[in-house]
Amino acid sequence: MMKKMVSLSLLLILCLVVSACGGGNTNSNAENNTSSSNTPATSEPAAEEPVKNEKLIVYTNANSDGRGEWLIEKAKSAGFEIEIVGAGGANLTSRLIAEKNNPIADVVYGLNNMLYETLKKENVLIQHVPQWAGEVETGLNDPEGFYHGLVKQAILLGYNPEQFTAETAPKDWTDLYKNEAFKGKYEAPTLLGQITPQLVVAGILTRHQDSNGDLGISEEGWNEVKQLFDNGVRAVEGEDFYANLASGKTPLGAVVSGTLGSKEEQYKVKAGTVSPEIGVPMIVEHAAIVNGTKKLETAKRFVEWMGTSEVQGEFAAQFNSMPANTKAAEQANESVKELYASLKAQPLDWGFIADNIGQWVEKIELQIMQ
Amino acid sequence: MIAIKTKKRLTSVNPTSLALYGLIAWFVVAFLIYPNINIYYEIFFKDGNFSLEAAEKLLSSERAMRSLYNSFILAVSLVFTVNIVGVALVLISEYFDIKGAKILRLGYFTTLIYSGVVLVSGYKFVYGETGFMTKLLVGLFPAFDPTWFHGYWAVLFVMTFACTSNHVLFLSNAIRKIDFQTVEAAKNMCASTFYILWRVVLPVLKPTMFALTILIFLTGLAATSAPLILGGAEFQTITPMILTFSNSVSSRDLAALLALILGLATLVLLTIMIRFERKGNFMSVSKVKSEMVKQKINNRFGNIAAHIAAYCLFLLYIIPVVLIVVFSFTDAHSISTATLSLGSFSLSNYMTVFSDMSAFKPYLVSIVYAAAASVTVVALALAASRILHKYKNKWTFALEYSLLIPWMLPSTLIAIGLIVTFNTPRFIIGNSILVGTVWMLFLAYVIVHIPFTLRMVKASFFSLDGNLEDAAKNLGAKTFYTFRKVLLPIILPSTLAVLALNFNGILADYDLTVFLYHPLYQPLGIVIKNSTDTQALADTKALTLVYSVILMIMSAITLYLVYGRKSRV
Repeated sequence: MMKKMVSLSLLLILCLVVSACGGGNTNSNAENNTSSSNTPATSEPAAEEPVKNEKLIVYTNANSDGRGEWLIEKAKSAGFEIEIVGAGGANLTSRLIAEKNNPIADVVYGLNNMLYETLKKENVLIQHVPQWAGEVETGLNDPEGFYHGLVKQAILLGYNPEQFTAETAPKDWTDLYKNEAFKGKYEAPTLLGQITPQLVVAGILTRHQDSNGDLGISEEGWNEVKQLFDNGVRAVEGEDFYANLASGKTPLGAVVSGTLGSKEEQYKVKAGTVSPEIGVPMIVEHAAIVNGTKKLETAKRFVEWMGTSEVQGEFAAQFNSMPANTKAAEQANESVKELYASLKAQPLDWGFIADNIGQWVEKIELQIMQ
Repeated sequence: MIAIKTKKRLTSVNPTSLALYGLIAWFVVAFLIYPNINIYYEIFFKDGNFSLEAAEKLLSSERAMRSLYNSFILAVSLVFTVNIVGVALVLISEYFDIKGAKILRLGYFTTLIYSGVVLVSGYKFVYGETGFMTKLLVGLFPAFDPTWFHGYWAVLFVMTFACTSNHVLFLSNAIRKIDFQTVEAAKNMCASTFYILWRVVLPVLKPTMFALTILIFLTGLAATSAPLILGGAEFQTITPMILTFSNSVSSRDLAALLALILGLATLVLLTIMIRFERKGNFMSVSKVKSEMVKQKINNRFGNIAAHIAAYCLFLLYIIPVVLIVVFSFTDAHSISTATLSLGSFSLSNYMTVFSDMSAFKPYLVSIVYAAAASVTVVALALAASRILHKYKNKWTFALEYSLLIPWMLPSTLIAIGLIVTFNTPRFIIGNSILVGTVWMLFLAYVIVHIPFTLRMVKASFFSLDGNLEDAAKNLGAKTFYTFRKVLLPIILPSTLAVLALNFNGILADYDLTVFLYHPLYQPLGIVIKNSTDTQALADTKALTLVYSVILMIMSAITLYLVYGRKSRV
């Protein structure tokens, strides 16, 4: 019995090893295929007709909910073959920086200004101004020409409509901790590993820029952030903030414009949003080309195609988003246009934020949070 | 005479073993020492000189120090509570004659198929603010505080029951090795049940319990989900902070330093345990095996109490799992309020997940990676354990501690260390570039699972009876033959259990995978994270549960295939 059992398990292990190695082989074979099909293409002069598009590796954080699949399909019909590597924005940025000596990606899109600024500083991007850059709303593109806007997202202060009205709701983030009435009623941006809480903090800190202050921020700015954290309720990992807004547990907090529609449907509560005088942190998803790509010409053609008002307009209509391209913006859904008509972008120095956000987070984690 | 001896010694080390030793040495140097030392160097000597700034920053932060302290408190408390509960579970399911033990055991096995955020949310469905137990208690005592379930005790409670997975696997294996004749003999001499447990059963369990204690301690230090979700402001631990810092380029030094502190603490405990291991020979693997017979508890009240305890534990384990499965058929609103109504049930969540065929490729990719990596790491650990068991010198000492290096770094930094090291041709791997190949992720999975695997495999090696090997040699068996026919069968159950655990752990990994996965082969963990990300539009709460249920099923199948059928033999 024992013998049989042992030989059976040995067989099982053997099977696993064989299947594993088999898997490994197919993997490497497939890889060889792609690389061998790429090599001749690279040596071809790009000017030759008809243009041959090589397969592109595209990094993005904006491929969930079928957006990635949609882009792959669209790109295919436009003659591009792309593979998408999807991951969270911060992880993707770390990965791109770590890989910069031997880049895998050709194009990266979807990240926000802050992360693109970091990438620019690390020499991960190349300068390339696509033709549609001029159609993008002024002030959104990188003035140095490394990245250019596709989709606008706003980080809004949302409130539960049963507990607050437009009059009683806070007028700005600063009201949350300055007005006693909101104490303990809002979610503090404690999950600082994520981008949205980071931007909420940055939106307050940058109002107190002071080159003599600690990490470029005046004493007063740090005080304000301390109050923001002291008077708010901690965010809990794994909980959806919108659920707490809807239930009234924490009726105030940060919401991202692009998700409002679907959250409203899921929780049956339509959050009110605040438009502060100073504006709201507007994060724009951009497109850029990775420095060191071996398929530069195809990557350029792809970015040219991707940012056109046709593609972006169609995308906006399909996914209820707000294009950065002013021509495409006309095709956005009515409710989205309405929301953005009332919003103003808060002027933010992205380079400054990108330089400091890591240390700000560190300081808050170590010294400000309780 | 001496000449013959030397000659014998030389020929006894055959070329195959020499090649094997060489291979292990190369692997250790190339993939454990080199990239990890490299990342430490990058972090601490970035501008060419070493600075103590990171230590100063941490020491001056009250929150960091308190979190560190809490982590240690949690780790030490868990060592006691998990060992007690774990031993109780094993005694109930394997040693005492409890009615329905087979079903009870299934309940106790549930922690093997889910973990992390999902497990804690499962407990929250029961004990959380809107949970069923809380509602019951509020109904009974109107003054009861519905937010009772948070802080140190809540974390300890959930983690105590969640971390018994290793006990039910490995201690069960160990308890089956008890020589029943000794138990009988003790009984004939009128030893009490308790005395037999203490003097006959426990010593046999000791080596495994030492190995498990290290793991519990480490789990306690590395606790993330439970303190994040249940700890609240008053009981924060250090690992969430390490995770935040390791994702930010400017704070990596803090992350590495904190991980180093935790790692060193584990090493200190480990060294103590290794001492114990060396000191004692615990073994009584019976030479003439006589089947364990389950013991009846003769004291009537004792028997009833044991049954009640067994079934209470069963309920405690099974209810969270059942609720997760039930809620995976509902929507975000029902999940966040923990309410069930017939109207909110639908299959649409599952349809979303399986809507198109491309949805299946990631499963395949993850299964192949998990199988390849878990088999490799077990093979490596077996070879290493064999060496550690056979020889004791400074080289084996170095080998043992080198294999534990992955405990010294958070997995994010291990991933980044691999990228930074292998994105240029390196002599040690034959001047090839590993970044961008499918091997990167495979290697990373192998590397991070080495310490755990080694601990468990080594523990079962050290519970071997040396006489068996000698007997085989005297009968003229060759080294490999002895290993295969005599030693392997004895350590196989534990080895297979490790294999299954590693496999399940790799299936849905995200932290490592996100940095290293190949664009053409997207693993499951990435797909899950993408579709359940806070920015995603779909019903992310429901999808999280749906994926958890799918993973539970996959894990259960793995356990059944690799391990479950075995235990019936």
